[in-house]
Amino acid sequence: MSNWEIAVNRAIQNNVPRVYSVLEAHKYIEDMARKVREGKLKVLGNIEAYVEETLKSVKRTGGYGYYVATPEEAREIVLKIIGDRKRIILGKSMVAYEAGLREFLLEKGKEVWETDLGEFLIQLAEEPPSHIIGPAIHMTKEKVRELIKERLGEDPGESHEEIVKFVRNFLREKFLSAEVGITGANAVAADTGTIVLVENEGNIRMSSVVPPIHISITGVEKILPNLEYAMLESLVQSAYAGLYPPTYVNVTSGPSSTADIELKRVSPAHGPKEFHLILLDNGRVKASHDPILQEALLCIRCGRCHYHCPTYKAMGSGWGVPPYSGPMGAMWSYVVYGNKEQALLCCHSGACANVCPMKINIPKVIEYIKSLYFKG
Amino acid sequence: MNTVKHTMKLVSDEMSTSLMPFPVDKKLCYGWAQDIPRGGETILYTGCAYQLALLGHSYDRLIPLITKIKGIEKLKGLASKVITPSKDQVERSWQILRKMATILRKTGVEFGYLYEDEPYSGAILLEMGLIDEFKEVSKKVFSIFEKYNVKRVITVDPHTQYALLRGKEMNNTAIEIRSFYEMVGGFKASGVFTIHDSCLYSRFLGLRDAIRNIVRSSGINLIEDPMITGRDTSMCCGSPIAPVNYKVSDSIAKMRAESLKKLSPNVLVFCPFCYENLKAHVQVKDFMEVVNVE
Ligand code: SF4
Repeated sequence: MSNWEIAVNRAIQNNVPRVYSVLEAHKYIEDMARKVREGKLKVLGNIEAYVEETLKSVKRTGGYGYYVATPEEAREIVLKIIGDRKRIILGKSMVAYEAGLREFLLEKGKEVWETDLGEFLIQLAEEPPSHIIGPAIHMTKEKVRELIKERLGEDPGESHEEIVKFVRNFLREKFLSAEVGITGANAVAADTGTIVLVENEGNIRMSSVVPPIHISITGVEKILPNLEYAMLESLVQSAYAGLYPPTYVNVTSGPSSTADIELKRVSPAHGPKEFHLILLDNGRVKASHDPILQEALLCIRCGRCHYHCPTYKAMGSGWGVPPYSGPMGAMWSYVVYGNKEQALLCCHSGACANVCPMKINIPKVIEYIKSLYFKG
Repeated sequence: MNTVKHTMKLVSDEMSTSLMPFPVDKKLCYGWAQDIPRGGETILYTGCAYQLALLGHSYDRLIPLITKIKGIEKLKGLASKVITPSKDQVERSWQILRKMATILRKTGVEFGYLYEDEPYSGAILLEMGLIDEFKEVSKKVFSIFEKYNVKRVITVDPHTQYALLRGKEMNNTAIEIRSFYEMVGGFKASGVFTIHDSCLYSRFLGLRDAIRNIVRSSGINLIEDPMITGRDTSMCCGSPIAPVNYKVSDSIAKMRAESLKKLSPNVLVFCPFCYENLKAHVQVKDFMEVVNVE
C-alpha cells in the first residue's frame, strides 16, 4: 500500500463512522441542513442583490466590504489594506489559496504564516492541500516530524502531542506579533454583514481577534440571507465534517468596540480596529445563472463527499485543481478555473450525492461539465 | 486527455454508423441466443454489454497508443488485429446470457430477441458525457424497438438499464424498461460470498435491496460490513473511467478488491464491467454463475 492509501484509509476509518454517529445522535442536524440549502438557493437566485445588501450591512457595522471579480483584484485590495505592515497570519481559507494570496504576499516581502496546523504543514512542505478540511491528511506523523526537522531545524518529538505542542509554541509568537490576520468565512449574513467561522484549533479565533487588522476573504456564494441561516450553516458544516459539536464558532460583525463608558460606543476595544470583508466572484456569479452549475455553489465545504469517492481515494489531491479536490473539486475546478478535464475522472459512483448535506446532485453537475468538455 | 476526445470521437462515429462502439463481429453479440423467437412485444435486450465487456479493457489499454501510432484512424485497423476475446471468455458470457433467458422463461415471461438487429445502448457515450451524441444514438435504438413493435424491454446489466432509462426520458417513449433482477426470484445457490454492488443498480436504479433479497433468499451466506458494503460506503470498481485513465481505474479496482477480501475471498457481482475490472485482483463470480437452474 502506498503512503497515500494508508493515510486516506485511516482518515476514512476515523471520519466516516463519526459523521454517521453525529447524525444519528443529533437528528435535528438534517433539518438544519435542509434549511441551509433553502437559504443558499434563495441567495443564488439573486446573488447580485445579496452581494449589495451584504456590503451595505458590513459598512453599517463599521467594517469595509469589497466585491472583487478576480483573484488579481483580491490580491491588490489585500495589499492595499496591509500597506507597509509586514507580519501576516492566515487562518484556514480556501479562497485565500484560490487567490494565491500566501505566495503573493511572500513575494511582496511579507512574513506570512499559516496558523491552521494542516495548512502550516503544507506550507512547510510546499505542497497542495490533499483534502479541503484536512489539508495534510496525506502526511503520516513520521513524515511530519521529518518535515519540521528539515524545515525548522528542530526535532518536535515523536508523538502527536509533542508535535502539536511544538507547533503551538512556534506559532504563539507569530500570533502575538502579527499585524494583520487573514481568515476565510464559512458563512456571511446579508442582513447583518456578519461573518461566521467554525473551527476547533482556536487559531481562527486568534487570527481574527489578536492582530489589529482582520481581513476575511471568501466567495460570494457563502452569503446567506440572514444571521440565523449563517449560524446554521456553520453548525451543519461542522457536523458533516465529523467535528460536532465544534469547539469554536466565531461570529464577527465589524471591528471590536465597547460602550462601557457612558454607553458611548467607541472602536477599537481589545480586538481589531479594522475589519475588511472581501467577496470574491471568480466565476461564481456566472455559475449561479446556470441552472445545473448553480448546484455546485451550494457546497458548504464539509469534505464528506471525498471519503465516499473512489477516484479521490485513488488520486487524492491529484484529482482537482488545488485547493479543490474530490467530487466537489471536480465541480469547482470548472466553476473557478474553467477546467473541464477533472470531471472526466468521475466514476459516477453516486455515493457523493447521497452523503452531501446540501443534496447536490454531484454526478449530474459533473456529467454536465463532461458534456461541455466534449462540446468545447 | 486530448486522446480521450479523439477516442470518443472514434467511438461516436462508429456508433452513428454501426450502432456499435467498436468495430466488432456482430456474431459475438447474438451468437449465444438459441430458440428465442425474433422480436415480440417483450424482448430480452443484452445491449451486447456482457459480450463487449470482454473487449473494453483491450481498447482501454490501446488508447495510450493512439498518439504513438500517429492518428486515430489507425486504431481501427490495429484493434481488429489485436482485440479478440478468448473462446473461454466468450463462452462464459454466452452461458450467463443463456442462463438468464432460461430463468426468465421459467418465471413465465414470454420474450423475443432482436438477434443481429440488436443495437448497443450507447451507454459509453452517456457515461463519458457525450450527451448530445448519446441522444442521437438513443433515438435510433428506440426507433429499432418501435420498428419491431416492442412494448417492454428487459435488460440484463446495470449500464444498459441506466442508458435505456435515460434514453426513454429523452425520447419521451412509452416503452417499458425493466431489469432482469426486478422480474425474477426464487433462486437456489450456496456458498459464502461478499457482494460488490454495481453503483448503478445500488444508487441510481433503486435495486440494492431487491438484489440483496434475491441473494439472501437463494441460500448464499452473504458477508457484509457497513464500512465496505454499505449503501454509501461501497466503492466503485473503477471501470467507468478506464477509457480516460486506465491506471487510475485499475488502482480503484485493486483497492476495492482489497477491502472486499477482508470479508471473503469470494465476491459476487451483477455487472459484466465490475467483473472485468475486479477479476485480476480477487476471485469474482457473476451471480448467474453460482445459481442453479434445473
Ligand atoms: S459537495 Fe457536498 S459533501 Fe462535498 S464538500 Fe460540498 S457540501 Fe460537502
